[in-house]
Amino acid sequence: MTDPSPGALGESVYDVFARKKRGEPLRHVGYVDAPGDALAKVYAWKTYDEENWFEMCVVPRRAVLPVNRHDGPWGK
Amino acid sequence: MPEYADYELTAQERKAKELEAEAALKAKVQGGYILESPAEMTPGYRKALVVQLTVQADTELMSAPAYWFAARHAPTANTQVSAHAIIQDELAHANIAYRLLEDLGESKEQLVYGREPHQFKHPYGFDQPLDNWAELVVANGFFDRAGITLLGDVHRNTSYGPLKRALVKVDMEETFHLRHGEVWMRRLVRSGRTASALLQRCVDWMFPMTVEWFGLPDHLKRHSGQLDYRLKGLTNDELRQVWMASTVPLCERLGLKVPAHYCERLDEYVLDYPFPCEYDPDAKQWLFAEGEISWNQVFERWKGRGPMNEIYVESIRRSRDTVASWFN
Repeated sequence: MTDPSPGALGESVYDVFARKKRGEPLRHVGYVDAPGDALAKVYAWKTYDEENWFEMCVVPRRAVLPVNRHDGPWGK
Repeated sequence: MPEYADYELTAQERKAKELEAEAALKAKVQGGYILESPAEMTPGYRKALVVQLTVQADTELMSAPAYWFAARHAPTANTQVSAHAIIQDELAHANIAYRLLEDLGESKEQLVYGREPHQFKHPYGFDQPLDNWAELVVANGFFDRAGITLLGDVHRNTSYGPLKRALVKVDMEETFHLRHGEVWMRRLVRSGRTASALLQRCVDWMFPMTVEWFGLPDHLKRHSGQLDYRLKGLTNDELRQVWMASTVPLCERLGLKVPAHYCERLDEYVLDYPFPCEYDPDAKQWLFAEGEISWNQVFERWKGRGPMNEIYVESIRRSRDTVASWFN
């Protein structure tokens, strides 16, 4: 499986997950295009700054394995 | 893609089947059905969504250079920070919308770097220069309010799940931009006559500019794919009313004159000038005295683009090819 759009600068898609405070679920808040893990973290932290997140993480989209549906953005 | 059995159909039968699929999806989304994946879309739905997202992405993107040029007029270090925070938000919003377009098979690369400046689909307001601090804060107060009026409606009503979720962040931040505009408009009015006069001059060209932004009035717009596919909830005129219902009282409270008033008999805001009318971008003046023009004339003006179009587009992509070449 390839990333949907590597882009001219060698970027790939990372999905961004975050939780507002302790006890809340980690939810999908968006995505960034980045050339590697380190910059993906920076871009995510600087881009999704609408809340003071308790926890945030990024996942390379290619690492998400669809289980039951193959027609969405993760299943391509 | 047609199924194998579809090749047995005549062109006419195939067309009928396609129309049936479009009608079925329209009925489903009107009943509250949410689409989660491009695979569930009909060609008509996909096309309407691509148009909507392209306008959204281009508008956010082009607001950035417009605000960036104007941010140079920020009076203090703190205001520099808030002005640039707004620009950063706008670029993130653009990125989010282009990313959603990529999920639909469009190319962000092509959209941002492959088009001619006049092919971007942002409103005419973001082809205009913002020449001082007052113009920037009125842009926040008027243009960003138009943004939240439009996108807030999409957020509440869209049938596309990924867009609905993406707009949580966008709405939150656009509200901050709008507050920035309001707070500064109030401060400038209180500071005295010089700033008030400057503010009035901004309102004079930016109020009709935003009113026009909402597009064709309902009686001329026969059909809206975006409403049929539930990509938005309100019509152009309804959205224009929502915008005026908050903008007109704001200006009245600040003692600023606007060419519109609330009409009790009609229970809506009414414009006090010929609408639509012609605009002189060099003088930043609406030619009220020349009377009403046709919407075709407005579309011609929009298509011709405004004075800053090429400069703004160039400013966001000037060094991109050079840097990209280092990686090849």
